[in-house]
Amino acid sequence: MMERQTAQDDHTEDAGLSQLEVSGLECIRQDIILFQDISFKLQSGDLLQVDGLNGSGKSSLLRILAGLMQQNAGKISWQRKEISTCRYEYQQELSYIGHLNGVKDALTALENLRVMVALAGSKPEFPLSKALDQIELVGMESIPLSRMSAGQKRRVALARLFITKAAIWLLDEPFTSLDASGKLVIERLIAEHCACGGIIIFSTHQPMEIKDCSIMHIHLGKK
Amino acid sequence: MTSYWNAFRVIFLRDIILASRYRAELANPLIFFIMVIVLFPFAFGSDPDLLRRVTAGMIWITALLASSLSLEGIFRSDYADGSAEQMVLSGYPLTLLVAAKIAAHWCLTGLPLIIIAMLTAYLLSLPTQALQALFLTLFLGTPVLSLIGAIAVALTVGLRSGGMLLSLIILPLYMPILIFSMLAVENAMADIPFDAELYFLSGMLVLSVTLAPIATAYSLRIRMS
Repeated sequence: MMERQTAQDDHTEDAGLSQLEVSGLECIRQDIILFQDISFKLQSGDLLQVDGLNGSGKSSLLRILAGLMQQNAGKISWQRKEISTCRYEYQQELSYIGHLNGVKDALTALENLRVMVALAGSKPEFPLSKALDQIELVGMESIPLSRMSAGQKRRVALARLFITKAAIWLLDEPFTSLDASGKLVIERLIAEHCACGGIIIFSTHQPMEIKDCSIMHIHLGKK
Repeated sequence: MTSYWNAFRVIFLRDIILASRYRAELANPLIFFIMVIVLFPFAFGSDPDLLRRVTAGMIWITALLASSLSLEGIFRSDYADGSAEQMVLSGYPLTLLVAAKIAAHWCLTGLPLIIIAMLTAYLLSLPTQALQALFLTLFLGTPVLSLIGAIAVALTVGLRSGGMLLSLIILPLYMPILIFSMLAVENAMADIPFDAELYFLSGMLVLSVTLAPIATAYSLRIRMS
């Protein structure tokens, strides 16, 4: 059913490191097995790309890892504890960006960022105005998102990554509707997060260049 | 604890701001309410005695319908734009955030509804002692409508025929509120104390404040997966 290249635990065990371990994960949708027996182990600084054709279960895998969906079999552990037993602890360490942006069209970029920060439950890593600068939306603070383009809305959604201190990033097609410079910003951000010891799992159909990072791959669906 | 309060406040204020930017949506249930109330005298004729007897009842029935109409949108946009996903994944209990949304919804629809209901009741010459009972029952009852309704909305959000299904689910659940509210108003008109009915409504309110957000959060999680 599937072919995979798993990340081997060649790191030495270290109590201070983040660790996400998945074993025997299986997902069934409408009586079709999307994937089964997915296992991998990620540690600080690991970058995992989920490959597969449309409908092969990439989004489902990311949603299961985020805890939005229940797996049919298998186990996900964060810091050696199963995530169902430490849901809030795990969610505070998690940033999920799915197909939906999770931002409000009627609010301005700044208002959206404020809501994100409040819900993340952590102090912002750096000022919101600086986050706006990073996503190149300076000067558009007071414009509601309904008057922005799809790419600009996506940038606001991705600003979540700047302003919260999550260790694990789950990015489902992060580059959707981004232009070249937006893509560069996100690629740089991914490289920085890995260098700082974060864990990133993402799916994309676009070629990407991440400096100084080796990307591990996992392939879903028929070859 | 303060951060919990902060998360509640942020969601509450966010919904208030959102509503203030979509004012037309906010006004629709209220206009619906007034329109239906206006229809009743046309149907029953303008006999003041008859109107006096049915006014409280028609106000309550119309309030139930207006409430089920306005509730429909409480999670719709959150579900469609992914905010609901982010609320589920936030570092806070979903119950808390859902409670903030319901509180905002009641402030935006329940409170104005009470004011308009009192005005129309006055215009339709409801006796003074019944006005007081009507106000108290609406004040205790409409939050229960929002709280119970939110459970059903969370269960049906994102479904194609959600609106109709929603009314079918929640209207039967609204019956106890209607029965006890009407009893209170009837007793007030007959100059009999109506404390018992108010206590019962208060009990319903306490019960739904404590349990409905938990059930709503659970339903929303089911719809997300």
